[in-house]
Amino acid sequence: MAGAPDGGTVLSEKMLAARFAEVVLPHLGDALSLARWLTGNQADAEDVVQEACLKAHAGIAGFAGGNARAWLLTIVRNASYTWMARNRPRSVVAVGDLADLDDVSPPPDNDADSPEAALIAKANSAAVEAAIARLPQAFRETVVLRDINGLSYREIATMLGVPQGTVMSRLARARGLLMTELGGRHHEPA
Amino acid sequence: MSPHENRPHEDGLPQDPQDMKLMIHALVDGELDAAAALAVERRMAADPELATEHARLVALRGAVASLPRPSVSDDFLARIAAIAEVKDAGDAVQPTAAKVEPQQQQGNVVEMRPRAARWFNSFDWRQMAASIALTAVLASGATQWLATADNGSDSFAVAVANGHRRSLLAATPVDIVSSDRHTVKPWLDGRIGVSPAAPDMAKDGYALLGGRVEVIGDKPMPALVYRHHEHLITLVAAPRQNEAKSMPVADDLSAGGFLLVHWTDDAFSYWAISDAERPALDDFVTRFRAAIIANPAAGSPG
Repeated sequence: MAGAPDGGTVLSEKMLAARFAEVVLPHLGDALSLARWLTGNQADAEDVVQEACLKAHAGIAGFAGGNARAWLLTIVRNASYTWMARNRPRSVVAVGDLADLDDVSPPPDNDADSPEAALIAKANSAAVEAAIARLPQAFRETVVLRDINGLSYREIATMLGVPQGTVMSRLARARGLLMTELGGRHHEPA
Repeated sequence: MSPHENRPHEDGLPQDPQDMKLMIHALVDGELDAAAALAVERRMAADPELATEHARLVALRGAVASLPRPSVSDDFLARIAAIAEVKDAGDAVQPTAAKVEPQQQQGNVVEMRPRAARWFNSFDWRQMAASIALTAVLASGATQWLATADNGSDSFAVAVANGHRRSLLAATPVDIVSSDRHTVKPWLDGRIGVSPAAPDMAKDGYALLGGRVEVIGDKPMPALVYRHHEHLITLVAAPRQNEAKSMPVADDLSAGGFLLVHWTDDAFSYWAISDAERPALDDFVTRFRAAIIANPAAGSPG
């Protein structure tokens, strides 16, 4: 990969910088979105993303192609949890909690009808954001990765280190909670 | 719950109503192939409950998708862009920093310092303090990179890389198959009214496979495809704009995991891209340029 022997270091540094510009910079908006939802606010998100980008730069040579956004978001997610553990130790969900959440049985069928879909569609941004913020962490990150960052089931499963079926059930549970809340039906959350 | 629970389905979809709901999610998420999507849609047509679930999901997705996204401020983009470049200046003695004119930056340094100092407090950036000047320059540069995403050379290189990648996945990398430039040139001329020289360099180990049209930033552009051993080389020739600066010296780049070489001559701005090794790509470029000079008639724009 490197060019002439005497210019090798310089060239590869340049190439790494170019790679960083092309792999990381285009996805900063997505990175901020994810960090904002995981940490809860915009100012913290910028700090987290900056730390994540330092890590991404250090590891840019290891990026083997594929979806750059998913690669960066994986780093952002890890950085978010590291940051949360350091700055807000109380709010981090323990691993045991995650497993418990997956075991929770699905909510009862509510024979919803189309007016509910209309209510959901009309929900204002503040209500949607509040509903997402209230989701348990594992559900929130799944729905954010899918519906806001646009990752595929497989990419999310790889990132979270869980089977694709788990991603699907978390997503369904997360959306179920959101729809219940936004659709104006205040069932007891399971 | 559902009246369909006990009726067997032959469509391979889950019998369990909860699992079936997951399939609705998968449909909304575009995760199903055509056959499965068709089967799910048939079930929905027969089962109002599923159809309702689908409608709610679509509504929810719309509501979530319309949430305001955090904007990437210029400051923030500059901070992040600086991560890569600052390291250059520190480690690598002479590169990017040497290119920028020191005089112009002095003003920026003073201006930027208060803001920059704040960043350093929350992060361990002190060792980079010496490079604030570069950060300031990059602040404007990086903004421009976003603003001119359509014609900036970075995004152009990425577009070239994407086109090349797509051609590797396609059934054939070329739209017109011919090793004869007298076929390729007129074909490109006929399609988009412009064509670069298309020398066949088979004797040098670079066989002309043919040509295709790449669309980059709304503009159709001629692309030639050469084969070198097992590797394909795509050569995109963008007609030179008047304002484009001449770059007679080839510039080595990379994008999307491919190596690129970029140079311009009087008529075209060339982008050669390949998964071949750098020396092979450089050799190709050298020979291509020599071939054009040897036969300038073939090099005039169509």
